[in-house]
Amino acid sequence: MQQGRGVERRTVLKAAGASLAVTGLGATATACGGGSGSGDGTVTIRYAWWGAEDRARRINKTIDLFEKKYPKIRVKTDFQPYTDFWKKFNTQASGGNPPDVFQNAIGFLRKYDAKNVLLDLKEQVKAGNLRMEGFRAGLDTFGEIDGKLLGVPVGSNSMALVIDKPVYARAGVTPETGWTWDDFDEAMARVRDRTGRAGDSGMYGVMYLYDLYLRQNGKAFFTEDGLGFTEADLTRWWTKAEKGVRSGLFADPKKVAQIKPKSALSAELAGSEFTWDNFTVRYTSEGRSEYGLAPIPTTDGKRTGQYLGSLMLSASRRTQHPVEVAKFIDFMVHDPEVAKIMGYDRGVPATTAQYEAYRPTDAVNKAIAAYEESLVQAGVLEPITPHPNGADICEAAFLRIGEELGLGKRSVPDAVEQFFNESKTALSS
Amino acid sequence: MTAQATDITRTPSAKGALRRRLPGSLAWHLGALTLLAVILYPVVWVVGGSFKASEDIVGSLDLFPADPIVSNYTSLADGIADIPVSTFFFNSLFLAVGSVIGILISCSLTAYAFARIRFAGRNLLFTLMIGTLLLPYHVLLIPQYVLFRNLDMINTYTPLLLGKYLATEAFFVFLMVQFMRNLPRELDEAARLDGCGHLRIYWSIVLPLCRPALITSAIFTFINAWNDFMGPLIYLNEPGKYTVSLGLKMFVDQEGLANYGGMIAMSLVALLPVLAFFLAFQRYLIDGMATSGLKG
Repeated sequence: MQQGRGVERRTVLKAAGASLAVTGLGATATACGGGSGSGDGTVTIRYAWWGAEDRARRINKTIDLFEKKYPKIRVKTDFQPYTDFWKKFNTQASGGNPPDVFQNAIGFLRKYDAKNVLLDLKEQVKAGNLRMEGFRAGLDTFGEIDGKLLGVPVGSNSMALVIDKPVYARAGVTPETGWTWDDFDEAMARVRDRTGRAGDSGMYGVMYLYDLYLRQNGKAFFTEDGLGFTEADLTRWWTKAEKGVRSGLFADPKKVAQIKPKSALSAELAGSEFTWDNFTVRYTSEGRSEYGLAPIPTTDGKRTGQYLGSLMLSASRRTQHPVEVAKFIDFMVHDPEVAKIMGYDRGVPATTAQYEAYRPTDAVNKAIAAYEESLVQAGVLEPITPHPNGADICEAAFLRIGEELGLGKRSVPDAVEQFFNESKTALSS
Repeated sequence: MTAQATDITRTPSAKGALRRRLPGSLAWHLGALTLLAVILYPVVWVVGGSFKASEDIVGSLDLFPADPIVSNYTSLADGIADIPVSTFFFNSLFLAVGSVIGILISCSLTAYAFARIRFAGRNLLFTLMIGTLLLPYHVLLIPQYVLFRNLDMINTYTPLLLGKYLATEAFFVFLMVQFMRNLPRELDEAARLDGCGHLRIYWSIVLPLCRPALITSAIFTFINAWNDFMGPLIYLNEPGKYTVSLGLKMFVDQEGLANYGGMIAMSLVALLPVLAFFLAFQRYLIDGMATSGLKG
């Protein structure tokens, strides 16, 4: 019996040992993740961004270049699609472990500044590790908030009306610079009547477009700490939208929801869509038609209210290696070779050096460049208005409630009230 | 159809019964087949979609491509974002198998203690354990993250596996406790008379009899670990350590090129291990239900 007990204990222990070995293996195989400095002075920084595999391949190449130039700095990348990126970033930031440097956008600057996540890069600029000269069209001040430099633009984009060219041609509509909202409404009706396709995919939920409309009328979506428009303004905007959906000027929101993540434009549900000009890259890869960029309709025939939007690189305040991070950002925004690799993937390059270094050869990117140049020539670009802490939540709420309105789940007054309630909570936190 | 063939073997009265049953049976089978077609439609659509060009996939209801291509599959051989696809599969398999081993050992040991050993505070502890089932995952997310960060375990597989080895999956403990409580105590007592201690009873008596519960837990753990998205998303910081569920998300983002074809091809390939695991073990599952049914 004694013997029996021994055997039994051994078997159990063996099983337990095997299980420990499995966990142990997991730990050792990956133990290199935590430390960021090593004996020979090599420093490792973490770089996170959102995007898909195509961007990943490009970024990996630029990092090879960077590591060749700075052999003492290693860069580890991490990436997810947009929404997952922010989920992960939020958890990491709350857990005190954000990446050293990461892709960022204007709507998040104040939010993460309020949470003490972002590093003020001004000191690194003073120390000469990061050059803020040579930016196009005033982009150098885009990441500045309350005198702090919280983000450095890597590329710029503008809102545009992306159109399905053959559909617009069949409808006989040619949008011209300075066309008005009345012209736009007429165009929508013509597209619907002559091609049997809805004119637009659902502009009423696009926060950035409503922002432009408000700016054309001397207002803006956001002020320093709140909303820059009244409930009456929004009621007018959404009443018009509801009519548009009912009369088929805008694509059936049910169908638009069904074909997600594909866009309504490339799925041939609508003839055009208001969005950022670089989205044409994706639309061309998912749709069969040819897509072009048309100007934003105006209120007075002149002002479009447009400004350059931009992707930025930000550093985290907790980084152990601010100098290396600054050098990394500097390299990524100024080096001409980087521009040749990245192309217009993150927008038209922010610095003149990079802008000159890459000239697109394909039709889609050429059109983006031409569009951005036409904006500069027309002189319609204005300075950007602030995005307060909570702006990202307001943007998401605007889109969601706009969709619910389109689907008929909410009436206009109900939708307006809901949006103001949600944004008040978001902006006061 | 088959009615004629069966005529020969059937007696006249059975023949009459068959004739009376035939319309009902036909309707029944037709209904079942229609339902099957509806249920299988999405699966067939995905299979067909994996042979379509990217721009033809989303929004098209056609089951099969007009001109099939295999480039969605062959492009997987180039890897995703400079990482070989096999890496994701290996990582997922490692996590899934590691989780299954952990759950089987830790949960059955814990369940044995709750089911067979009398100790002070047993009921309270059991209630507390069941209570953890009520905690939403999102409440634990950040505290757990901070804990593992302080232990310097971020970007390792430890946070994803450790809990499985410490019987923190209350559901499986509960499942096994319930199963063990139904096993006749006489078996334990007979073993005890033969001189067995708890370990021996656990290993030689209770565990073999618990096979159905163990296999159920194994199947669910494998599928959960294979499909887990949030855990790997939060804890792993290098694409080279990513699992299949994270890899699948690398094909499409709102900006840049969209590769739906690659995504669909890979999701089909990603289904295979789960399917294989299920097929390999499901007959034990049915086996187990049958035997436990007899016992009841």
